[in-house]
Amino acid sequence: MRHLQRSSAIALAILGLVAITTPTRAADEAPAVALTTADLKGISTPSADDLAKGDPGGTLTGTAGDIVMADPKAGLTLADVVNQVGQNRVAINFVWTLVAGFLVMFMQAGFALVETGLCRAKNANHTMMMNFMVYGFGLFAYWVMGFAIQQGGSAGITNLGGVNPLNNEFKLSLFGKDWGLFGTKGFFLSGNTYDVGVMVLFLFQMVFMDTATTIVTGAAAERWKFAAFAISTFFLGAITYPLFGNWAWGGGWLSQLGVNFKLGHGYCDFAGSGVVHSVGGLTALAVAMIIGPRIGKYNRDGSPNAIPGHDITMVLLGCFILAFGWFGFNPGSTLGASGNGNLRIGSIAVNTMLAGCTGSFGAILYMWMRFGKPDASMSGNGLLAGLVAITAPSGFVNTVGAAIIGFSAGVLVCLSVEFLERVFKIDDPVGATSVHGTCGLWGVLSLGLFADGTSNYGGSWNGVDGSVTGLFYGDPGQFVAQLIGVCTLVGVIFTLSYVFNWFVDVFVGQRVSLEAELEGLDLPEMGALGYPEFQLVTPGTGHSVDVGR
Amino acid sequence: MKALGLGLVVGGWMVAVAGLLATEATMVRMGVALVGLVASLAGITALNTAHIETAPWKMRGR
Repeated sequence: MRHLQRSSAIALAILGLVAITTPTRAADEAPAVALTTADLKGISTPSADDLAKGDPGGTLTGTAGDIVMADPKAGLTLADVVNQVGQNRVAINFVWTLVAGFLVMFMQAGFALVETGLCRAKNANHTMMMNFMVYGFGLFAYWVMGFAIQQGGSAGITNLGGVNPLNNEFKLSLFGKDWGLFGTKGFFLSGNTYDVGVMVLFLFQMVFMDTATTIVTGAAAERWKFAAFAISTFFLGAITYPLFGNWAWGGGWLSQLGVNFKLGHGYCDFAGSGVVHSVGGLTALAVAMIIGPRIGKYNRDGSPNAIPGHDITMVLLGCFILAFGWFGFNPGSTLGASGNGNLRIGSIAVNTMLAGCTGSFGAILYMWMRFGKPDASMSGNGLLAGLVAITAPSGFVNTVGAAIIGFSAGVLVCLSVEFLERVFKIDDPVGATSVHGTCGLWGVLSLGLFADGTSNYGGSWNGVDGSVTGLFYGDPGQFVAQLIGVCTLVGVIFTLSYVFNWFVDVFVGQRVSLEAELEGLDLPEMGALGYPEFQLVTPGTGHSVDVGR
Repeated sequence: MKALGLGLVVGGWMVAVAGLLATEATMVRMGVALVGLVASLAGITALNTAHIETAPWKMRGR
């Protein structure tokens, strides 16, 4: 009997629990009460007297009274509120994207410090000036035609308001598929591309392009004729970079590999391991091949000599500035912070931070084990290598993937620097080809391996529904799409850069004279020394620049 | 030698893209793309070898 009573009590308790939870569910399912304009009339706003007293507590600032009314005589309407919500979302995204772009612009300072520090003092002015003027030359080229080629056929970007004046992509129809090649709207940002959203997109894309162009100056430093540098930079900003940018980001054929060939979501490159860094790194390789090594870099038997930079503090400070700017590079590539899954910016920022740290860790570990000392410049390059590699996958991978990608990039950059210097006999004073080219390509491939299928940017990517998923998480097609991207970078972009720079070499000459190189490029090319108070001596050569006597 | 190298670089890319059109099997496409990539890298190696042959440090012993 007691057992029966206990059972009944338990049953009653369960029924009670069900009864408690049931009304809650019923309330959830109750029809929503529509908000009407009449409801808004009852909302009180601070009076003029209240506002005159100031608002130290921050409770009176930002109320219904701040909502812009279409017709003040009619008062606040529901349409006013809804429009304000929509504009606030776009405003948040505008500000986010612009601030991220400003951070990326500041990366130019980082590049300038890294490259100048890794060069000899006798070339400080020249190296700094290349990094300075790449901003002007690149921006001009991109404004004239680069942006139009890259983004002129991209659809309206919903995060930036969805206005769509960039709507004409030149396509070839081959084998029953459309192959988008380049955009045709937005030259000089004229016509109906004079649009607030387009301007935000232009600024953000322009500083990305500028990052690619500044990579080349490092590989060709200490022997590049300034005029050749200017022409080469213009071509990269106007043609080479925008072409690949269109294929990957502007609705071009690589981005459509998913739609046309069922290869995952097509070629994916969240923030530009391929578009920015591989394009810059492969162009750097082409220029370094054509221009040849610095005098004194190689002995007759082909063994290399170390040519140390003049200021390691500059180099590491530059690396820190770059790492700071990268928080604009990767999280900013959502082009928004509100809606469409953009709150993933937190994850993207952490991935960026992690990969940079594991990259420097990988590099320092490799150098310490191989040479018995932690190498400062390679630690810096390891940091950059990790950041370069995580740039493409940052929006699609988890933290474990990011750490692995960064660490492997840190080791890879050391191997690549050694290989290029000792086997390929390519003199790259700052390791730009290895940091940006090799690790950029690794970043592109790593996305096809580590994308974990959890991202959701508005439900689709490159016109394919669902999340981007890599080989390790079940989609080998995505890895193939990334491989095709890598083949295109190596096969087309490298070739284009090589052929153009070969023409520059033939008609203008890429390299300064023997005398100028020995003296240092500051006086012959720039007309002023970077460090006029010092007597500059190049160790081992006996050549010096003696000033002030 | 330089022209041959450049030809290989571009040829590798063409092989990779041709693989997309030739088959719908993902693993075959992956294999063909890898072959194309290796060909392109071999082309860069050939191109660089051509540059090294005439490098000033080799000719003049700088």
